[in-house]
Amino acid sequence: MFSKILIANRGEIALRIIRACRELGIRTVAVFSEADRNSQHVRFADEALCIGPAQSSKSYLNIPSIISAAEITDVEAIHPGYGFLAENSHFAEICESCHIKFIGPTPENIRMMGDKMNARTTMHKVGLPIVPGSPEIVKSKEDAIKIAQKIKYPVIIKAASGGGGKGMRICHNDVTLASSFMTAQAEAEANFGNPNVYIEKYVEKPRHVEVQILADKYGHIVHLGERDCSLQRRHQKLLEESPSPIINEKLRRRIGEAAVKAAKAVNYVNAGTIEFLVDKNSNFYFMEMNTRIQVEHPVTEAVTGIDLIKQQLLIASGEKLSFKQEDIHFRGAAIECRINAEDYENNFLPCPGKVETFHAPGGPGVRLDSHVYQGYVIPSYYDSLIAKLIVYGKNRQEAVRIMQRALGEFDIGPIKTTIPFHQKVLENPQFLKGDVSTHFIQEMLGGDDNSGR
Amino acid sequence: MNIKEIKEMLNLMNENNLVELEIEKEGMRIRLKKSGSRSDDGNRPVIIERETIPESQPKEPVRAQEKTPAKTLEIRAPMVGTFYRAPSPEAPPYVEVGQIIEPGQVVCIIEAMKLMNEIKSEIRGKLVEILGENAEPVEFGQPMFILEPL
Repeated sequence: MFSKILIANRGEIALRIIRACRELGIRTVAVFSEADRNSQHVRFADEALCIGPAQSSKSYLNIPSIISAAEITDVEAIHPGYGFLAENSHFAEICESCHIKFIGPTPENIRMMGDKMNARTTMHKVGLPIVPGSPEIVKSKEDAIKIAQKIKYPVIIKAASGGGGKGMRICHNDVTLASSFMTAQAEAEANFGNPNVYIEKYVEKPRHVEVQILADKYGHIVHLGERDCSLQRRHQKLLEESPSPIINEKLRRRIGEAAVKAAKAVNYVNAGTIEFLVDKNSNFYFMEMNTRIQVEHPVTEAVTGIDLIKQQLLIASGEKLSFKQEDIHFRGAAIECRINAEDYENNFLPCPGKVETFHAPGGPGVRLDSHVYQGYVIPSYYDSLIAKLIVYGKNRQEAVRIMQRALGEFDIGPIKTTIPFHQKVLENPQFLKGDVSTHFIQEMLGGDDNSGR
Repeated sequence: MNIKEIKEMLNLMNENNLVELEIEKEGMRIRLKKSGSRSDDGNRPVIIERETIPESQPKEPVRAQEKTPAKTLEIRAPMVGTFYRAPSPEAPPYVEVGQIIEPGQVVCIIEAMKLMNEIKSEIRGKLVEILGENAEPVEFGQPMFILEPL
């Protein structure tokens, strides 16, 4: 096991990693930007180093600064958290060449899964269901129409190098496809530097269900069940739960095996997540793979009892997985609400500033992962996530009741947070029935989302 | 006394479960104290208090009073890395106390990832104190040199 590692991140995930290290007897080095000098993760780490000014590009994304900090504090490994450099294969490679272990997958894993079209093709080759679509880049609108007629409308045009909803066009017939094709190409060119687009069948009102996997360096791979992350706004997850209300034991086994097959196909190491779209007939399709620990990992920890960050550290230090698939049991239900410093009534406008009141919820079944404290000033330079509120009950109904109670106890001010928004979600009849899709938030808020994607 | 020796002292404290350790040597006294509180299991960063014991016969008593002048300027580390006073072990240091520093003048090297970065002063002044320790780590924003404006 490592004796000292550096956490190349900030906020709640840095604190999360430090906690796991504390329990494993690993000494921790925190790095921080000037804006994060009073951050919780800096106070809790054994050593802390200022690596740059507030801007992420000059601090948390500054590879030479981070490697330099790692060298002078003499750490054996770096945990990249999520976001920032977590899925930067270049950074993972530099760590390797500087003889610092990167706590995560291999640079090759990151590269392979970062290319979305390539990932689709690879998964298709190993027999995973993918959303029907063009086998490669579509060159002309005539080709587009041919493909669309084969896979049936509606279809969606996507940028091959794209992401974040850009360059996507949903088309319901030949006429709209013909006119949208050229504009989609132009948008792809403008946003990603090339006009390459491909076409997929558009799955209507899908659910976003992802499967957590863990893989050690010796080829042992297990899945830890699914998370339903259908509640999204502009492709940002707001609430996650496990188990998914639409996944029964049989489907869990099938989708879990598919996820393990996907990870095996690319010789994946460490923690990862396979994302699937599930249609209303419970057909699931591979979407993409995330080669990092995710924000919503606590929900899986709650229902499996397995500490994912500790597993990442164990795997990276060369340990074999200490359990097999049959040793993993799923119990109860967990829900996570991402609390952001945003004004949901004002188009979710970010609200940085000083937290004068902070009263955390507690009691049975409540877990709060947060770096915020009374007196903390939320900087404006980084994302607006200030807390993850996770509840765990013996079933979904109980989890919902606990979440309703916990949200009611959670007092943060005077800055605005999304707590009242989550309270609305937790009272919504559709949500209570478990009948949600990725369009839910948009519909609940009155369809002003403009995403339609 | 340098960071390595201080680190050794810290290890000594941890190994022997000491809460406070004070050492005096070569005209310098250092006290290392773990910040304590019941909720704290001793894992907070250690507070280091450093006093420089004045020599029994100060050579320039007037100088001692000037140690905290009203206006000084600092040159701070623009990056994290290892601080070096000279371009190589055999070479003379870039600057010495008493020297006038001009903007654009190289004052030190900060090494990061095996690359030697020449750090240039952005200000003009007389170098009165060198805070950076040769071959020791510096973090972003750490003061390395103190200059008196001219």
